[in-house]
Amino acid sequence: MATKTELTRRTFLSGAVALGGVAALAGCVTSGSSGGSTKGSGTGAIVFQNSESDPDPKAALTALVKEYNANPVGGKITMNTVATEQFRAQLSTYLTSSNPPDVLSWYAGSVARDYASKGLLLDLSELWEGKGVASKFSTALKQLSSDDKGRQIFMPTDYYWWGVFYFKSNFKKWGVEVPTTWDEFISLCDKLKGQGINPLAQGLSTTPWMASGWFDILDLRVNGAQFHRELLAGKHSFDSPEVKKVMKYYAQLVPYFDPNMGSYAWQDAVTPLVQGKDAMYLAGAFISENVTQNADDLDFFSVPVIDKSIPSAEEAPTDGYFASAHSKNKQSVMDFLTYMASPKQQEEFIQKSKSSNLPTSPDVSTSNFSPLVQKGLKLLNETKEITQFFNRDSSDALQTTADTALVKFLATPKDVDQILADWQTAAKKVWNS
Amino acid sequence: MRRVPPLIWAFLLVPLAMELAFVFWPAINSFYISLTKWNGVGAPEYVGLKNFQNLAADPIFIQALVNNVYWVIGFGGASVVIGMLLALALNKPRRGVGFYRSAIYLPMVFSLTVTGLFWRLLYAPSGSVNGLLGLLGLGDWQKQWLADPSTALTAVLVAAVWRQCGYIMVLYLAGLKGVDPTLEEAAAVDGASRWQRFWRIVMPQLRGVNAVVFAVTVIDSLRTFDIVWAMTQGGPYNSTQLLSTYMYQTAFTTVNLGYGSAIAVVIFLLAIVFIIGYLARASKTED
Repeated sequence: MATKTELTRRTFLSGAVALGGVAALAGCVTSGSSGGSTKGSGTGAIVFQNSESDPDPKAALTALVKEYNANPVGGKITMNTVATEQFRAQLSTYLTSSNPPDVLSWYAGSVARDYASKGLLLDLSELWEGKGVASKFSTALKQLSSDDKGRQIFMPTDYYWWGVFYFKSNFKKWGVEVPTTWDEFISLCDKLKGQGINPLAQGLSTTPWMASGWFDILDLRVNGAQFHRELLAGKHSFDSPEVKKVMKYYAQLVPYFDPNMGSYAWQDAVTPLVQGKDAMYLAGAFISENVTQNADDLDFFSVPVIDKSIPSAEEAPTDGYFASAHSKNKQSVMDFLTYMASPKQQEEFIQKSKSSNLPTSPDVSTSNFSPLVQKGLKLLNETKEITQFFNRDSSDALQTTADTALVKFLATPKDVDQILADWQTAAKKVWNS
Repeated sequence: MRRVPPLIWAFLLVPLAMELAFVFWPAINSFYISLTKWNGVGAPEYVGLKNFQNLAADPIFIQALVNNVYWVIGFGGASVVIGMLLALALNKPRRGVGFYRSAIYLPMVFSLTVTGLFWRLLYAPSGSVNGLLGLLGLGDWQKQWLADPSTALTAVLVAAVWRQCGYIMVLYLAGLKGVDPTLEEAAAVDGASRWQRFWRIVMPQLRGVNAVVFAVTVIDSLRTFDIVWAMTQGGPYNSTQLLSTYMYQTAFTTVNLGYGSAIAVVIFLLAIVFIIGYLARASKTED
């Protein structure tokens, strides 16, 4: 789950609230049908259900909404912020309720497509055409925001990249260079380990999905983006020779991980990286929010190429908005999304939320961005294929099967065949359910 | 008995209606959902007992069930035994006893989530538990307590018992206040040993408290969720999964509400079987 909200007290509170919500959800059985479309083109006030509950992004969105409401193009906006995990649990309830929130912040990919196929999401195609706010967004983004019928049902406003993050000063101190090939990468790990440094940081305790970061990128390097997407869609098997090959590369890394990775959450694992006990960390750009000192010292490189015949691919989870098909104020929704996706607001959001996220609009001036962010932007602009992240390309249900399999693999890599067979069994259940 | 005026009945109807609408109706609904396939979107699809059949063949469910048995026995057993020993030790008034009682009860004021976060720090690789072992020269025993599937569940259990035993102690302290001291003195005069006096004189008088403690413990152990979620979220690879955490994961992370409800029904049935069984036995012995 490439979201930035992790094990915070709020997450638990939301868990507790959600448990209480069992009752509420259960009560909706009989009323939760999705029939009766009441589409309208009204310009009344609308509700924006926000899942960006971390303090900085929330503050940034609050400021943007406040500015909008001071001089609204369409109806005024009421913003409700809900903790991410609770939002995840209740998203389907929101969308199927008789009076759904009009605009919801969530992410692009299989989840949005799934809701679109059930007729729950508003067609935003008009914003992608002609003079629409998204008309100049890249084709990769357009494809990502389209449903099975080719309509755009998502409005991406920012995204981020995954890479191997390290501190330049530490690399200098240890006398090592950024690797350019896989063999160089492995010998770098070897050299660092020889100096008593853990080459690779990782945090899997309450964030076991971090293990999928390496799985995804190695599958992209070994089998390519096309295979990866098909694998996650159930068209290949997790105990196929292709996946076994991926795990051979993954197994090479096992001795180099921080031995404490099982006890750390991803945020905890940043500490030994900052302290120079660990050297490198494959993570999303969200890691920079946890590096508060010497942020300029942080740099990254892309996981080296393994097979030159495979088109380059990177992971870039994309965040943004979709809208309910049952909104009574369609015009207000379009006006608000146009506002949120326009270059000025994208830039403002990225700066106020203190993130290293990238704007989706090509018209955002990037000159104010840090060198790190510009490098990330360049990486994604140059790569041939973009994937999201394991759960975003498949489902949260499939993610739990990956968590079990990969964490087990990292503990007992020699049982790989059994683990992959079990993974396939569990995944099949998800696909068939 | 005085007649209750109709107005009072009318007022009582309000909480009754709330209870029916917000507790019983959803609970009954969840029985229905357990017979369906439903992800929250559209109408639930009736599948009969398929969810329960799938549960029987689900290795994670079996693991959670086994863990739950371990948890009920470990959590119940340890907190009751320790709680009772503490109550017996701190029952007699003496200097400083109030301080000890409050100190032992103190963990109870923290929520389970806070307890979990606190113990996570203690169990951290360079945390106090490993630090203490190192100081004692037991460096070989140092472990990643929560990351090792062979120790994780017990590590969580210790944290939960640490919090619960103060609560059990208070229940037993209250019970011991109702124990007639003259009976024990008489038995002592008659030459009964300490052990005999405890089992034959004190214990039978604690029957009411025992029933409460049993019910509280079983319910608490079956509903245990927050501390596990705070410490391990059921990991590493499902080794600390309890029925409640697995239910939460299936229902709310993977939004498989039918399957999640089926697990909830199993939890409900287990709790009911335990509690009805015990209450039936308790009322039989009282007659």
